[in-house]
Amino acid sequence: MRRFEIGDHVTVREATTLFHHRTQAYTRGHTGVVVEHRPEWLIPEDEAWQREDGRVEPFYVVRFRQRDLWPGYTGLDRDTLETEVAEGWLVPAEEGMQ
Amino acid sequence: MTSPSELDSLQRRVLGLAPEPAARLDSPYWISNEFYGALRHVLHDVGGQPDAPVAYVDKEEADWELRTYVLCEVLAWRGVWNSEMRRRAENDLGATLYFGLPYYARWITVAAKALVDKGLISVSELAAKIDDVRARKAAGS
Repeated sequence: MRRFEIGDHVTVREATTLFHHRTQAYTRGHTGVVVEHRPEWLIPEDEAWQREDGRVEPFYVVRFRQRDLWPGYTGLDRDTLETEVAEGWLVPAEEGMQ
Repeated sequence: MTSPSELDSLQRRVLGLAPEPAARLDSPYWISNEFYGALRHVLHDVGGQPDAPVAYVDKEEADWELRTYVLCEVLAWRGVWNSEMRRRAENDLGATLYFGLPYYARWITVAAKALVDKGLISVSELAAKIDDVRARKAAGS
């Protein structure tokens, strides 16, 4: 059961990271839009330690605007960056963040 | 002949000219939360981190690089690890090795380390094999 649909605005949580993860620091705290569903998979935080009780989550391709990610971005306004994020890292974007 | 006291005063004068020494970074008594945040940044998360420009080199994989790739896949096939464990092992190498080694040298280093960690080979056997190969190379065969 997926929490987010294509087109949903989502924010990457500002959570503490330690030792190993795949959620780029530059995406955390930023809001983008879901553009693709990716298959469910073991999340990297559990797969990296081969946990027998490893959590399986749906993944999403999230599209960010480059100018939202990088302070002082000098490229075009329409430039985007897409990356894959596990569901547990995402929350619905708050009003006004869209 | 310079007397010890003259040497002392000379050294003090030189120390006075030298820039303030940087704080030692090995095992300080305390660090700030901000510094701790920077220290625990996971090494492979390089996007957006400050760095100098790197020249782009368009090269084919060398034979040893392809063999390293296949070896790591075979280790996964035989249940020694998975790709995510390999990536974590690369992070676990620490900043000096992570950023100092070439890409596939990181792979082959952590593959060897995984075999040692699992008790499949001993670190002494690995070191002895490296010495064997080095001796063979030196003998020119």
